[in-house]
Amino acid sequence: MILTIWKKEMESYFTSPLAYVLIGLFSLITGIMFFNLLVTYTDGIQAIPQHMAQEISFVEEVVLRLFANINFLFLFFIPLLTMRLFSEEKKQETIDLYWLSPVREWQVVLSKGLAALSLIFAMLIMTIVFPLIVWGVGIKDFSLLGSAYLSVVLNACCYISMGLFFSSISNNQIIAGLLSILGIMFLWMITWGGHLNSNYMISEIFNYIGITSHFERILRGLIGTQDIIYYITFILLFGFLSIKSLGRRNW
Amino acid sequence: MVNMDKILVVDNVTKEYPGRLAVSKVSFAVKKGSIHGFLGPNGAGKSTTMRIIAGLMPSSSGSVSVLGEKVEPKNFKLKNLVGFLPENPPLYPDMSVEGYLSLVARLHNVKDINNQVTKVLGELSLLDVRKRLIGNLSKGFKQRVGLAQALVYDAPFLILDEPTNGLDPQTVVELRDFIKRLSHEKTILFSSHVLPEVEQLCDQITIIHKGRIRATGDIHQIHQKFRQGLVLRIGIGEKEILPDLSLFGKYEITHDELVGHEHQYHLVFQDDRDCRAEIGKYIISKELNLFTLQVESPELEDIFLHLTENRE
Repeated sequence: MILTIWKKEMESYFTSPLAYVLIGLFSLITGIMFFNLLVTYTDGIQAIPQHMAQEISFVEEVVLRLFANINFLFLFFIPLLTMRLFSEEKKQETIDLYWLSPVREWQVVLSKGLAALSLIFAMLIMTIVFPLIVWGVGIKDFSLLGSAYLSVVLNACCYISMGLFFSSISNNQIIAGLLSILGIMFLWMITWGGHLNSNYMISEIFNYIGITSHFERILRGLIGTQDIIYYITFILLFGFLSIKSLGRRNW
Repeated sequence: MVNMDKILVVDNVTKEYPGRLAVSKVSFAVKKGSIHGFLGPNGAGKSTTMRIIAGLMPSSSGSVSVLGEKVEPKNFKLKNLVGFLPENPPLYPDMSVEGYLSLVARLHNVKDINNQVTKVLGELSLLDVRKRLIGNLSKGFKQRVGLAQALVYDAPFLILDEPTNGLDPQTVVELRDFIKRLSHEKTILFSSHVLPEVEQLCDQITIIHKGRIRATGDIHQIHQKFRQGLVLRIGIGEKEILPDLSLFGKYEITHDELVGHEHQYHLVFQDDRDCRAEIGKYIISKELNLFTLQVESPELEDIFLHLTENRE
């Protein structure tokens, strides 16, 4: 059942220009970002004495910055992917097709979430060309590449889960998309709020609720249990809220 | 106790929205193997009742059972027993007809998907458009695809919410014939605004108005029950006036118009007695030209209007 709905969603992404436009745009923007970071890096190491240049890390200056930028791009790309998933179906009343068949709400939520995640994978696969390019010119330090990919995938899962929830509560996909953007921004801002607060406890709580500290730790390969628990809880919470929201609308 | 002669039992169903009562204490049953017409003006509560029966919406109180199974959210057994064509068919415009029907069949765990889809495409004359995108089809074809969606998993009970609404006359006739043929193997609950269509297709009817059931049962019994007395159509010369006929019983003229060179009247007598012979002789004795003298059976439309206008 999950495979059936996932396939239907994937077909729907690829029969409209949406998937091609998003993948193309994502590749273009990340390509420009990568090129800029690479130029800045090479200019930087050429401008300083050689013994100091060795201390400037390629991973730090290019890889980690690129993935932090990819996380920023998700602020717009993921709401564009998730906003229509339920709201459009509710508006067109095609959602009834699922409720008329022996399909559970969680199966629909999971399938649609996996379809959106598959499209994120399709976008990220395009970025594999960047390490291959720098490999070709002799830079072979990719120590944090795996954790960098893991960090953006985990963030994408959280954003998709939240996007699905906002799409499930509104019949208007524009509203669903705007709510998702605001939700993601809120997740980032909580961490900034934590930095500004002088009270240690409050600052720590803000830090834990906000996604940025977890993202940065995993990005740097410091994968802790509390971070994994955070991501799992976040994804399950919004998944659960989506299921409840869909269930409440029908019964 | 479960009565298996009745495929659907709606018992005292009420649906309340904040500040509005959509349906109130609705009760009726649909006999196995029948085409049951569900009649009512716009906003009467037909679609709400049908969505409740299909399990798409909860009722505020009361119960619905289909084939002895109670309709409730987690009753997944029922999902393959009820085929529903809503007023707005749930169609994906970016899918091909065949792809869409295969999806519906997969969602309902149909075993031989290809054969079942091809069978339904053939039955609804959709084979020529099977590869086309639904969004590019005409309204008539979209409605056929919607109906195919309700049929593709071979449910024994079909709910069709105004299936012929807004279609061209030829498609309407084709769909009506198809629904008539379907009734040999399935039980159908069918809503419509077109009263002659209901008379032509249905064995049983339920009339709903302002969320309440006004009449339900066998269409002939309802005709009998709401028969207003003898209805006569009398046609005389165009410049002639019908004489007073009150010596044959109390009556009322409901209709009076010129049809060609004939002045036609519809008379409704309170009494049911057939007094055509005496009336004929009487009119001729008054030296009038008698062109038409016939008994009219009350139309479903008369009953419908009577039930929906007189009980405000």
